[in-house]
Amino acid sequence: MTDDSPALDLRERTDDESRQRLARIEATWASPKGFLGWFMPVNHTAIGRRFIVTSFVFFLLSGVLALAMRLQLLVPLNGLLTPEQYNQFMTVHGTAMMFLFAIPAMEGLAIYVAPLMLGARDMAFPRLNAFGYYVYLIGGTAFFLSLFFGMAPNAGWFNYVPLSNKEFAPGYGVDIWTTMITFIEVSALTAAVELIVTIFKLRAPGMSLNRMPIFVWAVLVMSFMMLFAMPSVIVASAMLMMDRLVDTQFFVTEGGGSPLLWQHLFWFFGHPEVYIILVPALGIVTTIIVTFTQRPVFGYTALVLAMVGIGMVSFGLWVHHMYTTGLPLMGRSFFMAASSMIAIPSGVQIFCWIATMWGTKIRFATPMLFVFGFFAVFIAGGLTGVMVASVPFDRQVHDSYFVVAHFHYVLVGGAVFPLTAGLYYWFPKLTGRMMSERLGRWSCLLIFLGFNLAFFPMHQLGLEGMPRRVYTYVPEMGWQFLNQLATVGSFVLAAGFGLTLINAVRSVFRGEVAGDNPWNATTLEWATASPPLNSNFPQPPVVDSHTPIWDWQQDDERPVVGGLRDDRRETLVTTLLDARPAMVQVLPGPTPWPFVSAVAASVGFIGLIFSPWFYVFGILAIFVTFVLWFWPRHPYREK
Amino acid sequence: MHVRVTVDASEHPSFDPHHHPLWWGVLGAVAIEAAVVATLLTSYFYLALQSPAWPPEGVDPPDLFWPTVVLCLLPASSWTMWWAGKGSDAGRKRQLAIGVTASVAIASLALVARSVQFTALDIRWDDHAYGSMLWTITGFHYTHVVSAILGTVVVSVLAWRGYFTPERQLGVVVDTLYWYFVAAVFLPIYLVLYWVPRVLS
Repeated sequence: MTDDSPALDLRERTDDESRQRLARIEATWASPKGFLGWFMPVNHTAIGRRFIVTSFVFFLLSGVLALAMRLQLLVPLNGLLTPEQYNQFMTVHGTAMMFLFAIPAMEGLAIYVAPLMLGARDMAFPRLNAFGYYVYLIGGTAFFLSLFFGMAPNAGWFNYVPLSNKEFAPGYGVDIWTTMITFIEVSALTAAVELIVTIFKLRAPGMSLNRMPIFVWAVLVMSFMMLFAMPSVIVASAMLMMDRLVDTQFFVTEGGGSPLLWQHLFWFFGHPEVYIILVPALGIVTTIIVTFTQRPVFGYTALVLAMVGIGMVSFGLWVHHMYTTGLPLMGRSFFMAASSMIAIPSGVQIFCWIATMWGTKIRFATPMLFVFGFFAVFIAGGLTGVMVASVPFDRQVHDSYFVVAHFHYVLVGGAVFPLTAGLYYWFPKLTGRMMSERLGRWSCLLIFLGFNLAFFPMHQLGLEGMPRRVYTYVPEMGWQFLNQLATVGSFVLAAGFGLTLINAVRSVFRGEVAGDNPWNATTLEWATASPPLNSNFPQPPVVDSHTPIWDWQQDDERPVVGGLRDDRRETLVTTLLDARPAMVQVLPGPTPWPFVSAVAASVGFIGLIFSPWFYVFGILAIFVTFVLWFWPRHPYREK
Repeated sequence: MHVRVTVDASEHPSFDPHHHPLWWGVLGAVAIEAAVVATLLTSYFYLALQSPAWPPEGVDPPDLFWPTVVLCLLPASSWTMWWAGKGSDAGRKRQLAIGVTASVAIASLALVARSVQFTALDIRWDDHAYGSMLWTITGFHYTHVVSAILGTVVVSVLAWRGYFTPERQLGVVVDTLYWYFVAAVFLPIYLVLYWVPRVLS
């Protein structure tokens, strides 16, 4: 076709006809404005942004709790927090960082970025997406608010029975944990299904599975892991809920139950959980390395297989959290071998990254600096991981500060560093503006130094015998100096995140205008405006390689999909393996029903804390709101 | 940069209920629920193997009659669902409406059988972990039958009102998929809850 075809990229056209067409498409995909409009948007960009912002708010709040705990541990026999407060802070910090920050932040980023990377106009089930967000928002807020009423859970983030039984944890704290965690997992599961189907069915024509961006592969692996790991924690917390509310005997030894069943169920979820947040982070790291070296990734197939391998092996590791529970030797040996095996795919990835960077001129912008921070911190955490994977070593340091140091190195190194890198990297896409490089570099430096200062001494504290989860210690133990180092470090760390927060808020208003593709990246999210248009792509792209944007630049031509209607929300559905065009999906527009359903579900779940009858109420309320949500509206669609 | 249209979306159908993304979505929901059932049954075995006696002393395994009735009713209701879908594919609206209504009726009978069985259980949920498992798994499946029935009632109301056409019948297709799952998942539950205690003791 020639230059004056009406199919040209509509944004670059100045003639009236193309502009009117673009305006029509944008109006079709617009989200409503105003106060009532807040309850209605379904576009994945709106929902993804909300997930990201909300999860970072929970991150800050949980971080403040951590600072309070560090202050309490500054000197021996400190009276800043009461033991009960300390237990609540510790439980809420751990639970919120995992369930309210890490998972939703990864989900949110995936919901925002993955459909754009696929060249889709929205996700497969936009209203379900909105439902998942409201569930998360309400559940997370209720969970956090319990702290202000002094009703927060206090049995640690993994809530071991019998400590969390009615007998040893009276009050509503643990009930709030069990109901709200189950509830928030519902949101995670909706996101998982949504992401899987979107990745399977809404890829741009030509984006066969072996041309999918690594980040999308990572999201796919994450979603499948969620699908099979989360049911386990849902079952476990539902059982604990019933043990506490209606006196079932699942975990009560006298009644034929088994406290170890809780540990098995919890860690069958809890261990994959670590990788659920690590795998998308690996995707972020790969994406950033490719962009900042301007070179296609080395070992695409090996990287994908390594991620799938990590996903699978991670389901065979859970018992390494239970080495001290008196398991048979054979069982322990098996899980020790499996735990060590995870080092193999992790190593494959590291070598692929090194090979990608080898001999290139790396651009050392802030996202890349955070990726280097990830390398250092995560590898250190991996090394202590190999140590605690071994049964004899683990039995020495179990439940000591060594473990606290290890998992903060793995989780902060493996998830928070890449996530912050991703924030700096995709911020221009989200807001249309760049974040400040200068503040970014300072922030990265402070976070790196502060983190190591805060957590490295904990290795030594653990080896010296300091148990985790204690609200204080006596001066004779000689733990004061290292604890003070850790506390100072935690404040440096907080200052580093504070800088990033200031940077983000400032840049939303005053950052340098970014343009469509400020990093000259090659994935499709950079093939639309920044921030993305309402429709993402007025003419969705067609791809035939791993690096579509770089190819288009070379050919000076870009292939697109034509023939989608302007007057309703249409997106192209393609086949599972080869992404050949198959059908057109008509997507729903803005609606308040997901919000209403989420409120109905929340009442049902929160009510469970007080009466089992809310189970029946919840089912009926959700049913009624779902019928109203799905009931076909006139005029019925004829084609 | 030149832009070239290489794919024309208007050549492709916008109705294709058997290949719609929602079909995959319901499959995802089924996978989650199957994982829940698997977790529950695994927990059942875990507790059974830890216990000196399973069921505990003085408790008989649940009666076989009513569960076996349910085991026959659920596949029967699946057959009427399948038959209804055949009718819908061919545009026979009456066959669709009759089929889904029959499924609701048969599954409601199964629900009655389930309820009778609850009252006949030899043990309460708070007596012993065995009772807790029995009640929870039974209750979990009961809830699923209820939700499948509720969803299908809505489908039958729409079917009697003539809403569905051979193209516009996504609701029928995905409801049927879920229905098959609810019927099929009863088989492992049946074998574990009603036969395993007999084999173990």
